[in-house]
Amino acid sequence: MRSHKVIEIRNLTSSTYVIRMEKNDFTFKTGQYITLGFSGSIDRREYSIYSSENDNFLEVLIKEVENGLVSKKLKRCKSGDYLDVDGPFGHFSLEESEIGRKKFLFIATGTGISPIHSFVETHPEMDYQVLHGVRIEEEAYEKDSYPNGKYILCTSREKSGDYHGRVTDYLMKNPIPSDTVCYLCGNCHMIYEAYDILEKQGISLGPIHTEVYF
Amino acid sequence: MKKVAFKTLGCRLNQYETDALASQFQDKGYELVQFDESADVYVINSCTVTHQSDHKSRNFINQANRRNKDSVLVVTGCMANNAKEELESREEINYVVENDQKTSVFSLVEAHFGGEIIHPSKLNADLFSYGATDKGFHTRSMIKIQDGCDNFCTFCIIPSVRGRAASRPLQDILTNIREVISHGAKEIVITGVNIGRYEFEGYQFDDVVEQILNLEGDFRLRISSIEPDGFREKFIGLLNHPKMTPHLHLCLQSGSEPVLLQMRRMYTAKRFKEIVQTVRAKNPDFNITTDIIIGFPNESEEDFSATCDTIKELNFGHVHTFKYSIRKGTRAERMPDQVDERIKTERSEVLRNLSDEIKVNYRKSFIGKTQSVLVEKIDGNIANGYGEHYIPVQFTGENIEKNQFYKVKITDIEDGSDPVLKGEIL
Ligand SMILES: Cc1cc2nc3c(=O)[nH]c(=O)nc-3n(C[C@H](O)[C@H](O)[C@H](O)COP(=O)(O)OP(=O)(O)OC[C@H]3O[C@@H](n4cnc5c(N)ncnc54)[C@H](O)[C@@H]3O)c2cc1C
Ligand code: SF4
Repeated sequence: MRSHKVIEIRNLTSSTYVIRMEKNDFTFKTGQYITLGFSGSIDRREYSIYSSENDNFLEVLIKEVENGLVSKKLKRCKSGDYLDVDGPFGHFSLEESEIGRKKFLFIATGTGISPIHSFVETHPEMDYQVLHGVRIEEEAYEKDSYPNGKYILCTSREKSGDYHGRVTDYLMKNPIPSDTVCYLCGNCHMIYEAYDILEKQGISLGPIHTEVYF
Repeated sequence: MKKVAFKTLGCRLNQYETDALASQFQDKGYELVQFDESADVYVINSCTVTHQSDHKSRNFINQANRRNKDSVLVVTGCMANNAKEELESREEINYVVENDQKTSVFSLVEAHFGGEIIHPSKLNADLFSYGATDKGFHTRSMIKIQDGCDNFCTFCIIPSVRGRAASRPLQDILTNIREVISHGAKEIVITGVNIGRYEFEGYQFDDVVEQILNLEGDFRLRISSIEPDGFREKFIGLLNHPKMTPHLHLCLQSGSEPVLLQMRRMYTAKRFKEIVQTVRAKNPDFNITTDIIIGFPNESEEDFSATCDTIKELNFGHVHTFKYSIRKGTRAERMPDQVDERIKTERSEVLRNLSDEIKVNYRKSFIGKTQSVLVEKIDGNIANGYGEHYIPVQFTGENIEKNQFYKVKITDIEDGSDPVLKGEIL
C-alpha cells in the first residue's frame, strides 16, 4: 500500500467530485481500479482510475452515495491530505491489438464513465463512441473532454440529454454494427440488460468487457 | 522421538501446504500422529472462507489444547491472517503464523525446542519454498504453482488473506515435479489459489501444463480447482493429452447471469456452458465438478432456479454447495437484501438432493467401462483408489501394490449418495 498526497479536489456537482493525487511511481493500465481510503483507515473502497496512463497525476471520480461511508468521508479530504492507494487491480482493459483497428462503443452509467474517460484520454486516436446514461444533465461529468459527436448523453429523468431515456432504450432503437467492440461499466442492472441487447445484435462480449460497480 | 499432528481445513492448497510441512517434520525425525492423539506439536492449518470454517478452526484449537496442554500449538492458514489479533491473544496458542510465512513453521518449532522464541513476523516470507510432499498424507503429489488472487469476487475473503497473485518460476515447478516423479510419484496435482492466472516471464498457465505433460515418466497430471475465466483455447487442446486426467473442478458459483455479475465473476453462465460443451465434445464422459454458493445477497427464486437448471443441464460429476455467509471486509457484506437463513437452508437441501442424484447417475455411466486406478489403500486383498476421472474405485486382487496403476473394468456401484465404483482387474 502506498500513501499519495492529495493535490486538489474538483467538485463537479453537489455530490460528485474528482480527487487529484500525486502519482509518485504508480503505474497502471487504463481501465484498472485502485482501492482508496484515508491513511491508516481500514475503510477502503474500489475506484476506477479517471486520469490517463500518461498524466503525471492520478485522478478518481467519486459520487457520494446516500448513507455511504467512504464516498462521504473522501469528499471532505483537502489538498495536502494523504490517502492510501492499493492496486492497480482489474482486468477491464483494452486489447492493444484492437486499439488502432476497431470501432469501440463505451457504455456507462453514472460514475461508470470514469474508466472510459481514462481510455479515451490515454488513446485519443481511437475510433469510439461513448454512451452515457444518467438521471439528469448535470451528471454528464466533464463531457467537454470528449470531442464533438463522440459523446451521447442519455438522460432518464429529464429531456435535456441527446436522448431521453435509458441507455438500454437507446441501444434497442439504434442497433450497433456487429463488429463493434463494446465495453460496459457501472450499474449491474444496466450491464445485464445491455449485454442481452448487444448479444441479440450479434456482438460477442468477453470477460474483460464489463465492470460492475454495484 | 517427538510427535507432530496436523489438522487441515479448507482448500487443496492448504492440503498441499500441510503435506509439505508434514514431510519436512518427518524428514527431520518427527513421528506423524493422528490429530486425536497426544502430540508434542499441533499444527492447525486453518480456513476462514465461511463462518463454518472459522467455527471448525476454533474447535480444533480447543481440542489440541485439551489433549496436551504442554504441546506447542501453531495456528497458520487464512484464519491466522484474518483473525490474527484474536488468535494472538489466546494464551494456549504459541504461534500464529500468517500464510506467507507458513513455509517456516518447522524452523519456528525447532527454534522453540531449542529455547529460542522467534516472533513469526521475523521469519522469511516465501510462498513457494516447500520441499517435496513425498511423505505426508497422500499418494497424489501436489505441486504449488501459484498463490494469491487479484480477482476480488465480491463474496470472497481470499484476496485479503492470501494476498496478491504470485507465480512460482516455471523452472522451479519443473524441477520439483521431476524430483517427485523420481521418488515414485504417479499422480501430479497442480495447485494454487487461482492457477489459471499463472504468469511468469511470459509463460502462462497453459504453457506450464504443456511443459509438465512433456516431462518423461510414468505419471498422470491432474488440475485442481480452476476458475473458468483464466485459460485460453490452448489449454482446452491439452485436455486430451494421454497424461492428462479427464477431470476439472471448474467453479461456477451460480447459474444466474445477474448473480454472477453481482459476484463480479469474470465469466457468464453462457460462457461456462460453452466451455463444458467444448470439453465434452471431445470427451463425452469428462468429469466436471463445481462449487455453488447458495443464497448470495439478492438471490431470487428465479436466480436459484437458473442455478438448478444449469446443474441439470451440465451433468456435473459432483457439486460442492456452500451456503453464503458474510465475510467482513468484502463488498457483498455491504449489499442490501441478504437472503434469510431459512431460505438458504431450504435451497441447500434442494440443491444437495439434485446434485446427489446427478452424481450417482454420472458414476453409474461408468459401469462397463475401464478405469486406470491408482491404488491408495489396501486392506487384505481389497484395493481402493481413484480412476483417471477422479471417481473412487474399489477392486480385489492378489499382491496388489500401493501407488501403482491397475486397469479395472467397472462392474457395479455401491448404494448411497457418494457411491464407490466396484470393478475387476483386467
Ligand atoms: C471495481 C469498482 C470500481 C468502482 N469505481 C467507482 C468510481 O470510479 N466512482 C465511484 O463513485 N464509485 C466507484 N465504485 C463504487 C465504490 O467502490 C463504492 O461502492 C461507493 O463509493 C460507495 O461506497 P460507500 O462507502 O460510500 O458506501 P457504503 O457504505 O459501502 O454503502 C452504503 C449504501 O450504498 C449502496 N451503494 C454502494 N455503492 C453504491 C453506488 N455506487 N451507487 C449507489 N448505491 C451504492 C450500498 O449498497 C449501501 O446500501 C466502484 C466499485 C467497484 C467494485
Ligand atoms: S477468483 Fe474469486 S473466488 Fe476465487 S480466490 Fe479469487 S476472489 Fe476468491
